[in-house]
Amino acid sequence: MSLARRNLFKDKTRFALSVGGVALAVMLILLLNGLLQGMNAQISAYLEHAPGSLVVAQDGVRNLLGATSLLPPGTAGDVKARGAAKVVPILSQFIILDLHDKKQPVYLVGYDRAQGGGPWQLTAGREPRRDTEVVFDRILAGRHNIAPGDTVEIMDRDFTVVGLSEGTTSWMTSFLFIRRSAAETLLRAPGSASYLLVIPSDRVGPDLLRERLSHLSGIEVLSKREMIANDLKLFGRLFSAPLQMMTAIAFLVGTLVVGLVIYTATVERQREYGVLKAIGARNGVLYRLVATQALIAALSGAVIGVGLAYGASELIMALRPQFLIVLEPAESARAILSGLGMALLAALFPARAIAGLAPAEVFRR
Amino acid sequence: MESQIPRSKSQLPIPDYQSSNSATLKVDRVTKRYGSGATEVTAVQEVSLTVAAGEIVLIRGPSGSGKTTLLSMLGALLKPTEGTIRLDGTTLSELAENRLPDIRLRQFGFIFQDFNLLSALTALENVALVAALAGAKGKEARKRAAGLMTDLGLKERLNFLPEKLSGGEKQRVAIARALVNDPAIILADEPTANLDSKIGHEIMRLLRRIAKEQNRSVVIVSHDQRIKDIADRVLWLEDGQFKEMVTMATDPVCGMAVEREKAAAQLELDGVTYYFCSRGCRAEFEAERRGQVVGDRLTLQVGRP
Repeated sequence: MSLARRNLFKDKTRFALSVGGVALAVMLILLLNGLLQGMNAQISAYLEHAPGSLVVAQDGVRNLLGATSLLPPGTAGDVKARGAAKVVPILSQFIILDLHDKKQPVYLVGYDRAQGGGPWQLTAGREPRRDTEVVFDRILAGRHNIAPGDTVEIMDRDFTVVGLSEGTTSWMTSFLFIRRSAAETLLRAPGSASYLLVIPSDRVGPDLLRERLSHLSGIEVLSKREMIANDLKLFGRLFSAPLQMMTAIAFLVGTLVVGLVIYTATVERQREYGVLKAIGARNGVLYRLVATQALIAALSGAVIGVGLAYGASELIMALRPQFLIVLEPAESARAILSGLGMALLAALFPARAIAGLAPAEVFRR
Repeated sequence: MESQIPRSKSQLPIPDYQSSNSATLKVDRVTKRYGSGATEVTAVQEVSLTVAAGEIVLIRGPSGSGKTTLLSMLGALLKPTEGTIRLDGTTLSELAENRLPDIRLRQFGFIFQDFNLLSALTALENVALVAALAGAKGKEARKRAAGLMTDLGLKERLNFLPEKLSGGEKQRVAIARALVNDPAIILADEPTANLDSKIGHEIMRLLRRIAKEQNRSVVIVSHDQRIKDIADRVLWLEDGQFKEMVTMATDPVCGMAVEREKAAAQLELDGVTYYFCSRGCRAEFEAERRGQVVGDRLTLQVGRP
């Protein structure tokens, strides 16, 4: 341990480089994972806070955010008749707003204030009471300098912003809430609903209700969890793969940085390792030596990287609030473990160099 | 017949104990070849040698004569292609590769031309590390290393990094490292090459005392002519074979190192052969011995009742 530590600290610049490389890699891994987690949290936020455990959609529609659903007339009554304690209809649609000459996609939700399905937390103002009122997502409003009392044009109609909602942001799209009657007018779908958020009665329960509803034609019944999973899958298909690839690249870069630094340090000290071998140190002792060096560098880097990730995430979210970065302790622990993995992989390079050392070479000059 | 080697007082003290680990190193018709077919090179060819406990053997020879290969084989760093190397009852050349590190650690002490101290460790740690490799616990290893280094006059340098030590100090640290596991054999590769004349002499005398007072065998490979002065035998290796063997003795009068075979004069007395650099020294020796004998007789006569 002492020799490993001394070897590492003897060249402080090199040690700082290896620690810095791992720290940056771990920070990147954490931020990318945090971004993915944040994206997932944003994608599932509406349904997580919406009432009910079942979601009824148009036949063939299996997600909330990636499809347009329009239920057959009378579906709400049918669902209620089959054992629902409460049915909350919403009329929703992706739309494009023109805000300060910028096209901004938003997810518009029309809801009945008395039944639910609207914003679950307001940071300013109130919910819409008239068909000309809208609740804007706080972050989106902030980005476009929109405040309660301002007027915005939604699908050629003027709406007054009466409230700002919290937790309804997404870096892709944010939520706007209007009365369902206003949405019916905007979307030219009077009396319609896109989805029903269903609370089964205690007597029937979700499984039996779902089974009963499966006999109704023209609808799709999913649990809220399934619906969330489908949304995550849909967006995951688009964003998870690149983010995970970036995470893998960060891991690889971190490993290579430590590997290269420890390898260079080992090659530079090759003669000293040769001397140890000649004196009688076994390969195992030398492997442990380089592994310990890699471990010290990688774990120091990982711990610093976790700290940096927390700092950077706060900074990013302050500068770009539409990006939610969720850093969980378990992820941090995983990042430190990945540092450990980096160390072990990184130690392979110098271990090979040591294994190839012939002890007799120590007498050669 | 006993050779007469001067036991000059070294300026450097040495650890005050006898090795508990004396052994005889026997090399029998050892050959080492590198490569095969058209590219085959014979570095050492049918070399035989016995190094007794407490003996100092100097191996000399031109560059490329096979000295380093031979030294590597003696130290169990390299296996011979043919022949056997035995350390007392153990045939080193037949041992499995994975047993050799332990043999090297406990039976051999290595001293290198470039000192080869670990640059990141202090002098004390350099020595203690080797004790720790042999199984000594941290505190015990440091204690043993510190004791040895103090005996070698390095008490004030224990916590110095090698870069802060002089050449002579570095070589003494290297000697302490070679001795820390109480080895039977010390193998030294050009131990004085990077040292100035005065320090070189000190190191030579130190090696001599390690051999004679601690009963360890010392094999030295060197171009340094001066080392002949401390060697019991000088072997000349050329083209992988011993061409000439010189047995050294010391003129008991002037203290000069003398090759037995080329001594200007010699005298056999009471079963001991003495070698002289000149007839004058022999005459002086004889006169001294006669006087001593007469003196002894006088003492006896005076003491008689």
